[in-house]
Amino acid sequence: MGEAGGGPAFVKVMPLSVDEKCLRLTDAEGRAGTLLGMRCADCGVVVFGPATFCQSCSSQRLEEVELSGQGSLYSYTIVRVPPSGWPGPVPYVLGEVELPEGPHVLAEVVDCAHDALRVGMSVTLALQAVAMPGVEKSERMVYKWRPA
Amino acid sequence: MSSTQFRAGREVYVVGVGLHSFGRFPEQSLSDLARDAVVDALRDSGVPWPAIPVAYFGHVYYHGMSVGETTLAQLGLTGVPIINVENACSSGSTAFWQAYWGITSGVFDLALAFGAEKVPGGPVTVTAENSPARYIGGDHMMAGYALRMTRYMAETGAPASALAQVTVKARQAASLNPFAHRKETYSVEDVLNSRLIADPLTLFQCCPTSEGGAAAVLCAGDALDGYGIDRSRAIRIAAAALTSGNYNGRGSDHSAFSPYRTEPAALQAYEMAGIGPEEVDLVQVHDAATIGELQQVEALQLFPYGEAWRATVEGRTALGGDLPVNTDGGLLAMGHPFGATGIRQVHETVTQLRGEAGPRQVEGARVGVAQCSGAGDVTTVHILTK
Repeated sequence: MGEAGGGPAFVKVMPLSVDEKCLRLTDAEGRAGTLLGMRCADCGVVVFGPATFCQSCSSQRLEEVELSGQGSLYSYTIVRVPPSGWPGPVPYVLGEVELPEGPHVLAEVVDCAHDALRVGMSVTLALQAVAMPGVEKSERMVYKWRPA
Repeated sequence: MSSTQFRAGREVYVVGVGLHSFGRFPEQSLSDLARDAVVDALRDSGVPWPAIPVAYFGHVYYHGMSVGETTLAQLGLTGVPIINVENACSSGSTAFWQAYWGITSGVFDLALAFGAEKVPGGPVTVTAENSPARYIGGDHMMAGYALRMTRYMAETGAPASALAQVTVKARQAASLNPFAHRKETYSVEDVLNSRLIADPLTLFQCCPTSEGGAAAVLCAGDALDGYGIDRSRAIRIAAAALTSGNYNGRGSDHSAFSPYRTEPAALQAYEMAGIGPEEVDLVQVHDAATIGELQQVEALQLFPYGEAWRATVEGRTALGGDLPVNTDGGLLAMGHPFGATGIRQVHETVTQLRGEAGPRQVEGARVGVAQCSGAGDVTTVHILTK
């Protein structure tokens, strides 16, 4: 408090993850991050995002794991009519990506021409800042996919 | 999972069905739609309202509290238990399932299941407005179906025209159904050339969000004569199965991840009925999008995986085919008022098994299946027999 002198103090604001239980930011700029999941110590099943009980065996012996930033495009669609509240450009590509650990992760696919989309193509994690139009302090870092 | 959870007791019959037309009715309230369907079903059954000991009401969107109670209050305050049921798109079929179990368990002789909905226009989402899903763009019911469709086409080689044929078939059936929301018939080209919603799904391959109501009166087999019910028009419920998500390695979700989640409910229902898929004469499935119908009939084991599109192209699932599917037009043409849809499927199945379906009649139908899906990986499968 009350740092005196020297002119205005610039406070570095750390970017926020869209969902800190699913995406941990790993640099101060928020440009790098890791997808998070939970692994069951009893049956080995891995799920994307938070869990208290194992989805498969109901064990509570779960441990957080860092998931691959690589996966394969299980399916995709080009969304022409977006859901309410969608803050991005239209159309956008929505991809369902299968991770090597098992879970599927839905997110936008960026930097890919529509006619280059293929089921089974390799994709890699990409983070982008997204803000809700007209909403102050709503910028979040969002996980997306791009061609590997 | 295992069959041991079923201890069905008394036989249960559907003895009356009623419908309020599906469409858009800005002058009518949710209660109006529901009440009209109930009055229709009670009249069809011959059972007077004061004889009904319990009622289950399926609906999703909020129109005030205790809408089931305020609706039925219009018919007279009889003091019976009335339960409001929310189970997403399966709310109506869940109300029906509860009515069945209320009777087969021996608690009630009669039950009323009814449902109604006024679904807002635009893409349907399932998460709350402040959910992170809004940033991610994945909460979009039709985009979920589109993901399933892309994958299905890649795995099976199904052409876009085969998917479009599902809509063509639905519209042909609906053109014979005065209750349908969409009665105009289309060609495959019309369907493929309609506006893209989420590639490869076009507008005419997505069910309309609609308004409507449906109701059914159920009665114990050993109570039919006591209520003076015409046995020749009573349709037996041979199985009533309801499941939620089964772990499949991809996580639970409402859209893309588990298209064959219907299978566990189907297997339970076939076992409970002692009826195999080869004995089924007609089917109503959850065709919220064209791909939904193909995957549901495969999950019901009526066609091998990846083959339903061929059966559709060959006309086998159309009226006049060897296994007609969605004989009243399905969600694609009836529209999809969530709370009413599952009971609408029962209405069509009962009408067919009674031999009262007029120009849509499936000749000689004796076994009908009704399958309904909902967010939360909900699936209901009911098997009705003549």
